[in-house]
Amino acid sequence: MWELFVEPWTMGAWMWRGTLAATLAAVPCALLGVFLYLRRMSLIADALTHVALPGIVAAFLLSGSVDPFTMLLGAAVVGVLASMAIEGLADKGGVRSDAAIGIVFTAFFSIGVIALSVGVENAHIDTACVLFGDVLGISNDSLILLGITAPAVMLLVGLFYRWLSLVSFDKGLAANLGVPVALVHYGLMGAVSVTSVASFEAIGAILAIAMIVVPAATAHILCDRLPWMLIVACAHGVFSAILGMYFAVWLDVSAAGAMVCVGGVLYALAFLGAPKHGVLVRWARRRARGSSTATSTTASLTATAGRGEPHPEVS
Amino acid sequence: MSVANVINALEIAEISARSLEFFSFKYAFVARALTASILVGGLCGAVGTFLVLRRLSLMGDAAGHSTLPGICVAFLLAGSVSTLPIMAGALVSALLAAIAVGVITRGPRSRSDAAIGIVLSVFFGAGIVLLSYIQRVATTSYAGLDAMLLGNVAGISPEQLIVLGVVTVLLGGATLLYLRPLSISTFDPGFAASVGIPVRAIHYGLLGALSLSVVVSVQAVGVVLVSAMLIIPGASAVYWFKRMPGVLAAAVGIGALSGALGAWTSYLFEGVSTGPAMVLVATTFFLSSLAFGPRGGLLWRAVRRRRRQRAMLANVSVSATGVR
Repeated sequence: MWELFVEPWTMGAWMWRGTLAATLAAVPCALLGVFLYLRRMSLIADALTHVALPGIVAAFLLSGSVDPFTMLLGAAVVGVLASMAIEGLADKGGVRSDAAIGIVFTAFFSIGVIALSVGVENAHIDTACVLFGDVLGISNDSLILLGITAPAVMLLVGLFYRWLSLVSFDKGLAANLGVPVALVHYGLMGAVSVTSVASFEAIGAILAIAMIVVPAATAHILCDRLPWMLIVACAHGVFSAILGMYFAVWLDVSAAGAMVCVGGVLYALAFLGAPKHGVLVRWARRRARGSSTATSTTASLTATAGRGEPHPEVS
Repeated sequence: MSVANVINALEIAEISARSLEFFSFKYAFVARALTASILVGGLCGAVGTFLVLRRLSLMGDAAGHSTLPGICVAFLLAGSVSTLPIMAGALVSALLAAIAVGVITRGPRSRSDAAIGIVLSVFFGAGIVLLSYIQRVATTSYAGLDAMLLGNVAGISPEQLIVLGVVTVLLGGATLLYLRPLSISTFDPGFAASVGIPVRAIHYGLLGALSLSVVVSVQAVGVVLVSAMLIIPGASAVYWFKRMPGVLAAAVGIGALSGALGAWTSYLFEGVSTGPAMVLVATTFFLSSLAFGPRGGLLWRAVRRRRRQRAMLANVSVSATGVR
């Protein structure tokens, strides 16, 4: 039994490197995801992770190098551009905000895919790798990039924690107190873009959305306070990264996909079994209430009357 | 005449020759590809218009991504890339995804946007796992499966085209037949319910139609970009017409045209997948609608604002002279 868990670590450096990369990608994604989730902007993350692809391709076509920091810059710039385009369409163009997200990211993504297939034939950019990640064969550059961006994002979240939480819960109050709301917003967008590019090799463009949305949603079912939510989200991310790596090794399947599946299962468990807000607990509570009302009809009648709900039919 | 000019002229000659080849229906597979692109564009345009107007745009994205695990499971069960099992698998997983989004949205402390994100990414992740498994163990050819990601309309089989045609006719007929209840429940669900229109049934019917049209479209545009073909035509059409029949017709037209032109572009340039090509053509239509559309387009709004300002200024000066 133990061998099953220990053996992958003895197979070579790639297991250590892969797990390190996946963990370094999971933590900043989870942290940023919580703030996006609270602001009901989870699907912006979907857009930004797709949009990182044209950012990388544009940076490559302009500079001619596959230097990771150039790519990071390109992706951050294109990411902020895309989020401005989404807001512009929604505010000035009169497009419904969800449609604006759908239009902008698919258009940007298409440009990226076409530029990749036409213009970048001889470069070391592999379409499949960019889309789905290659965590088991992660390069040194990519690992260094993650090693820099992950602590940087964590540091920034720590530094601007008060602003971020204030803006997430009450934008109006934040603006009144003098918090630069727009700056915080675009800072968050830029951070999401940078994180999704840095995690490209680890989890790929399309699956990065899972590392952003699912931990936050799980944490929100389990916790009531923001600090705990951040901790639980990170724990969810790290746990699904490590367990995902195990499954990838045991079953010899895509590591990024396995991590996402583990994360999804963890979410489902929380959805059903969370101690306070889970479906099972809510169901049990409703049943308990139902049986108690059945025993004392008068009590339930006064209770419903007191709550201002309509009386049961009396005729 | 310089060398560059000659090369240019040669390129133009070659492009026009290839275009002629494409639109002349000389080769069966080209004719199939063109027909399929037009059908897919029109079908997605029609269904997508209702999604956009009901703020369900991103359900299209979820349905598209979530077909992947079903396609893979169907391949594993059937052992080949034959049309009907694959389509059935895709349909089952798209419907499951739609149900999952509904369950999560009504579940504890959840938000509809996050529900779409969770379902989309987890289904797609499962699909990627299965795809990597297939690539390792497959004994028969799985070549058709890769094309499902970004679309390859040239690879469409006669059976696929028949299914696509049947679905298009059925859904098109249903849309025309139920146009009134569909529109009323889209614009004013409360009123629709009060006059006895089954609003919930229409909602689920629409999600079913969405799943069906995504399933028949993925061969042409791919699972990743099918949402664009659903959203963009409808979002463009509202800039041209005010009433529902007009919007719907415009969306179908824009979708079909984007499909045809996109397939043509990807035929001209080797290595360009059909999905992204169609999406870019559709985006061009969207941007021109946004700029020039008479209903809320940016140009007309600016003109109207100028006119109003001028009228106001004229009023002010008239009243000023009156006072003096």
